[in-house]
Amino acid sequence: MSKGWRQVLVCATLAAGVMLLSGGVHVARAEYGDVVMNNYADGAGMRPVVFPHWFHRVRFRCKVCHTDLGFKFKAGGNEINMLKIIDGQYCGACHNGMVAWSVENCDLCHSAKPGTPTQAHESTINLLGRSAMPAITAPAAGLTTARPATGDKK
Amino acid sequence: MKHRWIAGGLVLVALFVTMTQAQELPNAKAVYETTCAACHATGAAGAPRTGDVSAWAARFDKGITALYASAIKGTGAMPPRGGNPSLTDAQVMAAVNYIAGLSAKPGASASAERKSAKPVETAKGGAPVAAEAAKGGAPVAADAAKGKLVYQATCAACHSSGLAGAPKLGDVAAWAPRVKAGTQAVYANAIKGKGAMPPKGGNASLPDADLRAAVEYMLGQARVETAAAKPSASPVPAVQTPLAGPATAASAPAAPMPERAVQAQESADPNSFNRLLPAPARRNRPPIEDGIHDPASPGTALLQPPLRSFQSLPRSNLGNYVDWVAALGSKRIQPRWDVRDPNAQAAVMDLNIVREVKGSMNDVVFPHKQHTEWLDCSNCHPAIFKPQKGANQISMAAIMLGQQCGVCHGKVAFPISECRLCHARQKSVEARTTGGGKP
Repeated sequence: MSKGWRQVLVCATLAAGVMLLSGGVHVARAEYGDVVMNNYADGAGMRPVVFPHWFHRVRFRCKVCHTDLGFKFKAGGNEINMLKIIDGQYCGACHNGMVAWSVENCDLCHSAKPGTPTQAHESTINLLGRSAMPAITAPAAGLTTARPATGDKK
Repeated sequence: MKHRWIAGGLVLVALFVTMTQAQELPNAKAVYETTCAACHATGAAGAPRTGDVSAWAARFDKGITALYASAIKGTGAMPPRGGNPSLTDAQVMAAVNYIAGLSAKPGASASAERKSAKPVETAKGGAPVAAEAAKGGAPVAADAAKGKLVYQATCAACHSSGLAGAPKLGDVAAWAPRVKAGTQAVYANAIKGKGAMPPKGGNASLPDADLRAAVEYMLGQARVETAAAKPSASPVPAVQTPLAGPATAASAPAAPMPERAVQAQESADPNSFNRLLPAPARRNRPPIEDGIHDPASPGTALLQPPLRSFQSLPRSNLGNYVDWVAALGSKRIQPRWDVRDPNAQAAVMDLNIVREVKGSMNDVVFPHKQHTEWLDCSNCHPAIFKPQKGANQISMAAIMLGQQCGVCHGKVAFPISECRLCHARQKSVEARTTGGGKP
């Protein structure tokens, strides 16, 4: 490892430490839309998965994954596991060594800090949940049903 | 046995070399098209146009080696490696050769070739820069007044406002890692350029001493506040660090001083702008320092840093700081509509839906076009929005909780703080005076 890289690394860890110690207004600065999936990973002794939305939307329209591959619009809501992926479902539709690199590159997906909760990073829900409402995991479900669709504005 | 290994290694190396050489020509064209053409095809920012023999003649006269060096280090408005730091020296040189092939006078190419036979000294590791820096390291610290003048003339264009991710003057937090790296390192970057910053801040005629004065002035500004806030506790660093030689600069990052960094943050001016917002320099961090990826994971370092992708895309103010719709519209990105078929086309529907809203807020214009370029009808209809006029009750509260538009906006599509991207149509005067479009 060259000196330059080591400096970068040290600076990075220091910066991360500073952010954590200083009360953490913005503890993490990952990309908007990055999805952390930790349904099973921590329990299985793996690092949670970070899905970089931005990287994939450069290459595919939303429709490809959210219609053709059946990903629901919900962080952690798809109950993906490695068996399904190896069977060619979800991530496995591309990450099979043909469209994209294959599943034996565990660390490229399972790269989050251990213990990172499932989230759509920097999302409004996530930000609201962090500051005001601690348990906001399933509040919104009732909102539309509680309010019947009473006509509307044109 | 050992000899056989060595022989095998040599064969492999030889094979590799021949392969890379064989690939050089197509590579050069690809590098030119992806990186250089942005300016050199059009002549943007004063770049000499490819094929413009007279514009290039003077440059060829200095020798192709000099051209390589300027292409690698950047020159004038041209950033190092044409703004694509992922290019290797060999790729940059190949692209220069490619341009030279298209822009040289028929007779001149021979001499250019002859000069190119010389090894490229300037390209390797910035040796002259290091020498200059060593020369300038020991003598007196340039006086602050001069540094300020240079700063105002050249650096302030970006560093006063934080343009293009430049750390703002006096932003202690943003400068902290640079202060830590030492004057020497910052000065070297200022000469060579770094990221979006062109060499010498784009002012190639700036004498090195002036540049150094400006660097010290800016570093001083970042330090002054720290020192001023805690004069009794640590007056030493403020005095010591400007004179830090390469030795201290190298050892500094290894020293355990998170506490000092915390102080630097806490003692930042309480009345400063955007005190709690992430500084522009902290946007789009590479995975290894983004706080979510585990730097200890072997995969993290292999992931693409977002900025490498984003630097060629139109920017926006929030979210990923990328205007994705514009990126798609301008074909800077060409995401597939089908997993396997690269030619499949989206079924775009161009239909605007106007929703009149309560209160004084502008009415919402929903453009089907931008949505159907990315999405299939079934993504939204009928589960999220009933495909029927008047059948959907939409509220900002629901959107903020991730329902309706909030299924994407506020998670991955542009965030809901960009009110006017949706609330785009001004109400008529009557509607405004009678209290909105709704009874």
